[in-house]
Amino acid sequence: MDFDFSEEQYMLRDTVRDLLAKESTPAEVRRMWDDEKGRSPERWHKLGELGVLGLNIPEAAGGAGMDELDMVLVLEEAGRAILPEPLLEHAAVGAPLLARAGTEAQKTEWLPKLATGEAIVTVGLAGQPYVQDAGADLVILEQDGELHAATQDRLTLTPMPSVDRARRLSKVTAELDEATLMGPAGTNAAWAFDHGAAATAAELLGIGGAMLDMTIAYAKEREQFGHKIGSFQAVQHKLAETYLLVETAKAAVYYAAYALAKDLPDAQIHVSVAKAYASDAERRANYESLQIHGGIGFTWEHDLHLWLKRGRALEAQYGDADWHRRRIADWVYAQR
Amino acid sequence: MDFDESSEDAAFRDEIRTWLAEHKQEMADTKRVPGDTPREEYAKFRDWERTLFDGGWAGIAWPKEYGGRGASLYQQAVFTEEYAQANGPERINRLGLGLLAPTLMIYGTEEQKQAHLSKTLSGDEVWCQGFSEPGAGSDLAALRTKAVREGDEYVINGQKVWTSFAQAADWIFLLVRTDPDAPKHKGITYILVDMKSPGIEVRPIVQITGYQGETGFCETFFTDVRVPASNVVGKVNDGWKVAMATLGFERGTGLGSAAAFKALLDRVVDITLHEPRYDGIAADDPDIRRRIAQGFIETRVYELNTKRVLSKLAKGDALGSEASLSKLYWSEMDARLFELGNDALGPRAELARDAADAESGGKWFGEYLYARASMIYAGTSEIQKNIIAQRVLGLPRS
Repeated sequence: MDFDFSEEQYMLRDTVRDLLAKESTPAEVRRMWDDEKGRSPERWHKLGELGVLGLNIPEAAGGAGMDELDMVLVLEEAGRAILPEPLLEHAAVGAPLLARAGTEAQKTEWLPKLATGEAIVTVGLAGQPYVQDAGADLVILEQDGELHAATQDRLTLTPMPSVDRARRLSKVTAELDEATLMGPAGTNAAWAFDHGAAATAAELLGIGGAMLDMTIAYAKEREQFGHKIGSFQAVQHKLAETYLLVETAKAAVYYAAYALAKDLPDAQIHVSVAKAYASDAERRANYESLQIHGGIGFTWEHDLHLWLKRGRALEAQYGDADWHRRRIADWVYAQR
Repeated sequence: MDFDESSEDAAFRDEIRTWLAEHKQEMADTKRVPGDTPREEYAKFRDWERTLFDGGWAGIAWPKEYGGRGASLYQQAVFTEEYAQANGPERINRLGLGLLAPTLMIYGTEEQKQAHLSKTLSGDEVWCQGFSEPGAGSDLAALRTKAVREGDEYVINGQKVWTSFAQAADWIFLLVRTDPDAPKHKGITYILVDMKSPGIEVRPIVQITGYQGETGFCETFFTDVRVPASNVVGKVNDGWKVAMATLGFERGTGLGSAAAFKALLDRVVDITLHEPRYDGIAADDPDIRRRIAQGFIETRVYELNTKRVLSKLAKGDALGSEASLSKLYWSEMDARLFELGNDALGPRAELARDAADAESGGKWFGEYLYARASMIYAGTSEIQKNIIAQRVLGLPRS
């Protein structure tokens, strides 16, 4: 048994972390908030050069042919840096879904371009009312029990601005037919949903960790009553409880990635454990970070709200904690 | 990352299962709920320790030079897991095996190791822990039991409290104040005392379980008890450091215990399926189902985290803050699982153990109370949070 990542996996994580520390700073994220497109082609290109955009695309199709375990630490970093671009939709769900469920023609046409990031793919599954980056080159949609891969000429988009202005959501209506058809939704849509949930849990881990780090640093410098507020037991216990949740969530998220990579028979339950637990952990970090920052954290000028809003949005994405608890409960009782 | 068990570990697991199956009857005869042990039955528990020792199951991860198997911590955890699944009896010498022995391996003199390790392993020396005092609970360093040097001996006077197993124990590992003028952490010494020494008096304390005349904890009084100075572990006045090692082992003993919490969750799921309510069963209640799911999540996350810690230990990392994190996590989860069971049992939860309808043959409520105790012993939840805040997160002391 070895519950650890390989040297190579850590190296990729560090490379992505270093890149995003320079390229996805709070100032840069704010610039995206006010930018018309809200996306940086340069940053996307650099992520493509690192190979992370095609990480889960087979080598034969131009990708890196790596699995969910290689991806999970990258997603955690994307969450930590509140990356504006749709890494999750493209690299963790859309591209590998097309590789798995697309027609030969679709795969031949799109996968090499998706692997480099030259083309962008996003996903709208049934029950998901808004699609992230629906202006992408290719939009995979689940509709009437089928999966389709549609280009913009088939789509009508109604933008639905998010309070997290780096998220670019739209309602999508589509004209779909034989030409866009990938195949029946069935297990492939379920596969995509679970990958979306596990990937979201990984990003939540990074977001919760970032908020916790910011708040610990603040508690060490802010003084009231003549003392650092981090010396007060009421503050210490909030931070200790939050740290416990965020720290223990790692094992759940990493194991979900392992379960998906190994295609374990009960993988979806491991995914639900990860998404429910990571959502709750991030929620706690979200609450305590604003509470401990106090008034300054409630200002537009302070960066904390960039994380608060992304975290809150991702809690609801691909099933919230209660949705996943319901799936677990049904499974637990079905075992009896 | 790889969760497949090696063929060696799998064979080890099979060996344990076979042995436990062969001793099923003995285990059933010895089994009691924690603390619920009549004094007359101590002999049975000692026999059981001996049986485990003869089977090679005491000190699995102990080095061979001390009579152990020299197996990995992972294999130790496999044993704990299989033992819990087989519903094995309480380990009457768990303080000796789990706390004192590993402390001696680090801080003990060669003579102390020779004198105590093999006897502890075989169950011939059963240990109890003399740390807490009436005025020194969470503030352990405020302890006042004093030891004064006279020639080659220390003379000990004072009182310890909550000494579990004191009536069964042959020896006690004790914290005493040897320098009353030093700052409180700097005047403490860790010393081993024979419980047969003249001047020791043990008085049982009845716990809130109400199990009269049975173990649980005691008050232990020391009046002019003379102890050889060679029984000091570590340096004189440096006992706080040794005590912290012991507490680290105490808080870290959860490795492999995930199986016990999974078994508890299964019992609670059973209760929700069978317990009649005013209408239907608890398992039909969406709120109960939500809490069962949360219980599943927490037991699962606990199991994964113990595996993560084991994996780190196997690579040579030391057990640091994980001990406090783990202790805080499992003790609060344990209480929540029992509370969920109580809610599912409804009016049946309050039945005393002599009531015919009481859950688990009358053991339920006592077990529930012991889960509450786990949030207090080995450092309360609040103390663990202080440790995490100050030593892990580096927040300033108040």
